[in-house]
Parts: sequence; C-alpha cells; structure tokens
Amino acid sequence: MTNVFDRIPESVFRVISAAVIGILLFMIIFPLYFMLITAFKVEREIYSELTWIPLEPTIQNFYDVFYNFGIPLYLRNTLIVAGITTLIVIIVSVLASYALTRLRFPGRAGMARGVLFVYLVPSSLMLIPMYLIIVKLGLTNSYTGLVIANMSFSVPFCTWLLMGYLRSISAEMEEASLIDGCTRMLSLWYIVIPLSVPGIVTAAIFTFNNVWNEFIFALVLAQDDAHKMISVGLANFYRADFYMVGPMMAGSIIAMTPVVILYILAQRYVVSGLSAGAVKG
Amino acid sequence: MSQETLRKPLSPQQLASSKNRSLFSGDTRLGWLLVAPALLIVLGMVGYPFLEAIRISFTDRMIGRGPGEFVGLDNYRYIIQWPQFTEMVVRTVSFTIVAVFLKTVVGLILATALNQDFRGRNILRGVFMLPWILPTYIIVLVWRWIFDGQTGVLNQILMSWGLIDANIPFLAKTWSAIGILIFVLVWKGYPFYALTFLAGMQTIPKDLYEAAKVDGAGRLARFRYITLPGLQQVMGVVILLSTIWTMNTLEIPLLLTGGGPSNDTEVFPLLTYHLALQNFRLGEGAALPIMMLPVIALLVLGVASYMDREAIE
Repeated sequence: MTNVFDRIPESVFRVISAAVIGILLFMIIFPLYFMLITAFKVEREIYSELTWIPLEPTIQNFYDVFYNFGIPLYLRNTLIVAGITTLIVIIVSVLASYALTRLRFPGRAGMARGVLFVYLVPSSLMLIPMYLIIVKLGLTNSYTGLVIANMSFSVPFCTWLLMGYLRSISAEMEEASLIDGCTRMLSLWYIVIPLSVPGIVTAAIFTFNNVWNEFIFALVLAQDDAHKMISVGLANFYRADFYMVGPMMAGSIIAMTPVVILYILAQRYVVSGLSAGAVKG
Repeated sequence: MSQETLRKPLSPQQLASSKNRSLFSGDTRLGWLLVAPALLIVLGMVGYPFLEAIRISFTDRMIGRGPGEFVGLDNYRYIIQWPQFTEMVVRTVSFTIVAVFLKTVVGLILATALNQDFRGRNILRGVFMLPWILPTYIIVLVWRWIFDGQTGVLNQILMSWGLIDANIPFLAKTWSAIGILIFVLVWKGYPFYALTFLAGMQTIPKDLYEAAKVDGAGRLARFRYITLPGLQQVMGVVILLSTIWTMNTLEIPLLLTGGGPSNDTEVFPLLTYHLALQNFRLGEGAALPIMMLPVIALLVLGVASYMDREAIE
C-alpha cells in the first residue's frame, strides 16, 4: 500500500522541504525588505518606478520622522504607558498567581478557572464597554485611561501564564522554608520569586510588547497629540488616499526595533513561555 | 475541596506538609488578600464595563447625547432586520474558517519542514517568529501599501516585468480585497501555529518513528498515525484559540480595507466599530457583540475545557 508520499525518495523530500521553507521565507522577507529599502529612498524614487536598491540612499525620512512629525513624543507616551502597565501587571499577577496555585482557600478553584475565561474574552467584545467606562471616568486622552485599558487584558493573561509557570516548578524549597518557620510572604519573596524569574521575564515581555503593539484601544481612547501612542501616530501617515510612504516606513522601523530587540534577547524565555502559557496552561 | 487538591500535582513533600494543617491556617485571609488587586482589576475593568454594555444595548444612547432612553430590544431588532446582517455573519464565519484552515495547513507544513535536522534551524525559527512578534498595525500598513493601487510595490513589480499595462487597484475589487484580507490574516497567524506545532512535535519520542519505520510504515502513515495523534491536544487548543482571535480581529480589516470595497470585507468586529464609533450609535454598537456572544462563549468553553484538561495532567 504505497502512496505518492511514500514513493518520494528521502533526498527529493528534503528538496521539497527546502523549497517550502524558501517560499514561506520569501513571503516573510518580501514586505520587510521593501519596508527597509523604502525608508532609505528619496520621495521621488518611491513614487516613480520600481527599484530594488535605493539609487540615492538618504536618511531624510528618519530625519523627518524625528523633527517634523511628533514621533519622539509618541514614542515617549508609549514607553510611559507600556512601562507603568507592565510594572503594575507584574506585581498584581505574581501575587494572584502565587495565591491561586500555592494557597488553599475557599473560592480558589473558581477564581483559577475564572482567570482563563477572562483571558479568553476577545477584545472586540470589550471595545465598546471599555470606551464607555473610560469616557465615564473622564479618562480619555490620558495615560491613566490607556494604562487601565491595557491592564484589563494583561492581568488575566499574565496571571494565567504565571500560574502555569508556578505549577511547573517544584514546591520543595518553598515547603522546606515554611517548615523551617518562614512566613508565606517571606517565602514568596526569597524563594518563589527568584525561582520564577524566567516566567516573570516572559510575562513582562509579553505585557510590554502587547501595550507597545496595541492599536485599537490607543486609537479610540487617546486622539490628542500629547497622549497619542506610536501605533496611532504611524497609522496617521496613511490619510484617505495618500500615503506618506517614506516617513511611514522609517517610523515603522523605529517602532519595531525595541520589540525585535526584546525578542532576540529573550527568545529562549519566550519560546518556553509560548508553550507554558498559550498551550500547556 | 478534596477534588481540588487532586487537581494539582503535589510533590511528596507537599503532600506531607499539607497534612500539617497549622501551616495553612492563615491561607484563606492571605489568599484573598493576594488575589484582591487582580480581582478588583478584573471586576472593575472587565466585569463592570461588560454589564454596563449590556445595559446600554437596551438604550438608544448616542455619543455626545446624554444617557439615552430605554428602548427594549429595538437595537437587537434593528440589527437583525438590517438587510446586510446575514451577509455580514456569513462573511465573518467564512473568512474565519478559510483563514484558520489555511493557517493550520501552512503551520503544519512549516512545522514538519522545520522538524528535520539541518544547520541554521534555530535562526530560521527566529525569522519565522517575525510575523507573530511584529506589531500588527505595521504589518498591515506595509501590506496595504504593497497592494496599493496607486503607488504600491506589487503594481510597480508587475509593471516593470511588463505583465500589466495599468495599475490594478487590488484593494478596490471585491475578490482581490477578500483574498488580500485572508492572506494577511494567514501571514500574520501561521507562525504561531507552526511554532506551537513544532514544540508539540518535538515532544513526540523519536523511537516511535524508528519503530514504525522498521515495521514498514511509510512517510504518510507515520505522519498520520504518530505525528497527528501526538499533536491532537496542541492542535485543538491552537485552532480553537485562533478561531476566537481571527473572528474577533478588528485591527487587520480596519487598517487594511476598512470594510471596503462597498462592505465586501465588513466583518463583525468592524461593524461594531463602525456602528458605535463612526455612526455614534452606542446602543447598537453594544448590542452587536452581545448577539455574537453565544458563538464566542461556545468557543471559549471549548478552549477552556481543553486547557483545563491539560492543567490537570
């Protein structure tokens, strides 16, 4: 009972694999390559005919982005919101995940399951409710409003991720410390947290990047320049039927750089977090 | 309670100490204390807004016009009777099914290809993570520009190769706009599938394949009877999770097509956005997601049961 797949010799199969990888790789590189070269092209060249390498390489677009558009301000806003959100979310999630995995108390099981449900609530469901609440609190166009909106999805996600991580590390040292007379809080501070550093780093990176990359809530909640997030600022380079392509590509490269650097630094953590948080639970 | 204790894998030491009740006597107070901040955030920023949205869905509230009046089921009735409603639902469901199917297939193929031993595999895996880690809005803006009918790169390429004489407005034609939307959804989504499938494949013991090979099982048989069953759990979670995400993606259609041409890509989250924040009809905007709630709840329950089962193991 041989079929087509089995009749392909191993060498041919390897070639096919390579070809598949090659095609998919091309599809990934293609837009990124054009983003990169376009950022270094002069305006005339972008709108005339196709060139694969900038004829007159320039950093004018980067200069424009920094001095003629509010990008540095938007970057600062985004950094502030992402930093504050990450800090609060990590503290809150570490405490909650510790209690939900290590302590025994009535209501624990229900809440542990609740975390998963809240994490799974899609943001399209929350868009209008969140908008209404932020308006009601008078927090549109403020860092606080943006932090609140971002916290609402990050807290359940990070708590879930850290619960998974805490379950995966042994409680032996913790138990030993408790038997030796350590209080719960001391044991959390001196044993659990140092042991969970990889999990906490993963959660922090996911949170920071989620805020950094978030567009919809940033668009709806903060329209004024003083609080505009980088995502909204960049999307504004596209207006009606006109693209400011050069600055947009330069701005995109600047905006994605921190994200890419974070992932390169923490690839090991993120891959493990991916299976711990999103799959294994 | 006893069932709950069973849920967690307890180490022998833990079991021993959990008999020692005195260690845990203060757990209830401490537990609630530690959970309180998270609970407050979730109740205040997810629970309360959600209840508020249900209330507003029964009013005719509009942006900038006070609290609005109670109108019963009018908003729901209006949406259902709206001629394009059925079309919108069919569109949302079919785009989601096609995109999730393609992501699964491409993800499986890539994971299989990456699961072989070759040099540079780790670097490749890093590159394939890019679509997943890069900001969605940047990816969408770049693809939108590539497919742009005036200055887009694709038109420039086709033009320079002499394949077309005039620019094609890809995003202004029904079928190409739909195709591009699904393409970008898949482009952004399949790396997550591939990476999780790959992680799943690497947990399957190698000797299973060796044994099957010795027994004369072909490549397809090995894939079907070893790889697929081994991946079943991971695939179930990923596909359900991604179905929820794909169905609810607002960012990609909003930035890519804005629902056009002539509502041909107007999917459910986009319609919510348009109703509430462009037409200022908050009542209707709040009602639409609530109408989709049963479908979303079903999917969420599905994932939760899968993930819960994994948590028990």
